[in-house]
Amino acid sequence: MPEANAVLKRFNVEEFLSPATLTRADAIVAEIFGMMFGLEIEVVEASDPGPDAPGSDERTAVVGFSGAMRGSCHIRMTGQAARSIASAMLGGAPIEEGDDSIDDALGELCNMLAGGWKNGTPGLSSECALSPPTVISGRNYKVHMIKPSVKVSRLYQFDVHTLHLTLCCEDLESPQA
Amino acid sequence: MQGTVLVVDDSAMMRKVVLRVLKMADVEFEAALEAGDGNEAMALLRANKVALIMCDINMPGMSGLQLLHQIKEEKLAVGVPIVMVTTESSEPQVKEAILAGARGYIRKPFTVDHIKNNVRPLLAA
Repeated sequence: MPEANAVLKRFNVEEFLSPATLTRADAIVAEIFGMMFGLEIEVVEASDPGPDAPGSDERTAVVGFSGAMRGSCHIRMTGQAARSIASAMLGGAPIEEGDDSIDDALGELCNMLAGGWKNGTPGLSSECALSPPTVISGRNYKVHMIKPSVKVSRLYQFDVHTLHLTLCCEDLESPQA
Repeated sequence: MQGTVLVVDDSAMMRKVVLRVLKMADVEFEAALEAGDGNEAMALLRANKVALIMCDINMPGMSGLQLLHQIKEEKLAVGVPIVMVTTESSEPQVKEAILAGARGYIRKPFTVDHIKNNVRPLLAA
C-alpha cells in the first residue's frame, strides 16, 4: 500500500467501464478455474438465465476494494455449484451439504478473483487493498453502496452451473458524490 | 521429507489445498500444523520445530507480513524457508516480504508445478 502521506491517484471510472475490465475478469476466471479446479468455464449471454434453476438456494461472496479504487467484487451461484467448487478445490473429495468448507471455498474463489483482477489492472496492483471475503446465503437481499457507483456484470458457465460476477466501483466524480 | 510443515491461512479450505498440492508436488512432510492467522502461527512456532512455513498475507489479526517481522524479532524458525502464498502480488509487497525474511512467493491461483519450482529448491538448499 502507498505511504500514508502520498497522494493517491484515483482509478478512473471511464477506465473501469471500458471493455478491458471484463476482458481481465474473463482471463482471471478462466485461469482460476483451470489451475485450481481443473474445470473449463465460458462466458454466456446475459439474457440466458443458465442451467441452474431460478429460485434455487443461492450463495454470494463479496470482497471489498479500498485505496485507489473503492468498490467490491461479488460472485453469485447456487449452493450446489458452490459445493462442486469446494469439492474441486479438494481434488474431487466429497463435500457434505451444509459443510463450512463450501462457504470458505466460495470466499476464497472471490478473493482470488478480486485479487487477480486488481493485480492485472494498471494503477491498482499496489494501490488497492482487498477486504476479507464475506459470504451471504439466500437471494432476497440488496447491497446499498454509500456513494454513487457503477458496475459491470458477467455470467459464466462451468459444468452444469453458472457463476454471476459483478464488479462495482464508486464514482467519486458523479454530481451526487 | 523429515520434519513438520506449518501452513498459515485464514481459510481452512486453502490450508487443505496447500497441503494437498505440496503432496502432489512430492513435498510431503511427517507432520503438518495449521494456523488461521499470525498469532496462532506464533504460538505454534514457540512450541514446535518446523522445516517449512507456507504463509498467506491477508489475514485478520496478525497478517502474514506482520508474522514475518515477529518471527524475526523473536528469532524463531531461524533458517527455515518461509514461502508466501497469496493473491497479493504487487512488487512492493513481494519486496517487503523478501526483506522481512520470506524466501519464496507464490501467487494464488497456483499449480503443482508452481509449488515444485518454488518450494523444492528451498528444501534442497
